[in-house]
Amino acid sequence: MNEEKDVEEQPKPLVLEKLEAHHSDALLAQDEARGSVVLVVRKDQAYAVLEYLKTDPELAYTYLVDVTAVDNSQMESELMQFDYARFMVVYHLYSYQGQGRVRVKVPVHENDLRITSVTGLWQGANWLERETYDMFGIDFEGHPDLRRILMPDDFEGHPLRKDYPLRGRGERESFNFDKQNV
Amino acid sequence: MGLDFVGQGAGETDGNIITTTIDKVVNWGRKNSLWPMPFGTACCAIEMMATLASKFDLSRFGSEAIRFSPRQSDLLIVSGRISIKMMPVLKRIYDQMPDPKWVISMGACASCGGVFDTYTLIQGVDQFIPVDVYIPGCPPRPEDLIDAVLQVQQKIASGAAPKGVEVVYE
Repeated sequence: MNEEKDVEEQPKPLVLEKLEAHHSDALLAQDEARGSVVLVVRKDQAYAVLEYLKTDPELAYTYLVDVTAVDNSQMESELMQFDYARFMVVYHLYSYQGQGRVRVKVPVHENDLRITSVTGLWQGANWLERETYDMFGIDFEGHPDLRRILMPDDFEGHPLRKDYPLRGRGERESFNFDKQNV
Repeated sequence: MGLDFVGQGAGETDGNIITTTIDKVVNWGRKNSLWPMPFGTACCAIEMMATLASKFDLSRFGSEAIRFSPRQSDLLIVSGRISIKMMPVLKRIYDQMPDPKWVISMGACASCGGVFDTYTLIQGVDQFIPVDVYIPGCPPRPEDLIDAVLQVQQKIASGAAPKGVEVVYE
């Protein structure tokens, strides 16, 4: 009984209130998962929303925890939800001012993998975006040094995509031994 | 060790002269002064460190002089996962070691890929470098590594060539 009451009385998170006031047209969906707010944001306004979340003095999501992506190509229900966008780029933010965590998801279509880099907002996004590029092939526009970070430079393909075979395409046997930089 | 005492009758040299062969003396020295080159890339390396530390104390077997320089070592301990990006590095380190050299493949990942049957992991380093002793386990206990070092010592003492050496009989 008490638990139900608590849930009802929870106030709307400040981040939702402020975003609905300032960037309502950018929000595609919102959700709550494990105590953090989940926002789905239109790709063309993703940078503006992230900048607002970081620079607004009340929210101050100054810490970028992670940048990653999800390949929904085998999740029909997820695909249909956002106009068959195959990829979902995910930003995890944390506010040291008590606003907790927020997760910003941005649908990215397979035929247009470009998305604005957030390295201008958080320097730490540099390697995180390189990893996302390496694993999923997301093209972060404006990134200062967008090249592979985990796989060898001459690797072809993006191994965390769902259509990449788990055991690879024979690169375990035929990788390049003569590396110049070894 | 192939030592023979010389001298039968009574005399000053009785029992004080030992004959042996150069090979046996050299092998005896080699086996008791192995200098390992550690190549630790995963949790097996933690067990390797424990082997070297005071509780298990690999120096009891003359192998405590860990060399992080391949040019001064003669035993390569591959302990951990080797990815397709790391394999060229491992091969170069192996090539830099002077002959004669021995290789221990420690743990499931180095020996066969372990549970990581994925696009990026080498399924056994013996595809690319010759391995003398394999250690099973995930990760193996320090005793297993000590046993492997002792097996390498046995191999050296027996006069057998390392796996990486092609023996040409004339």
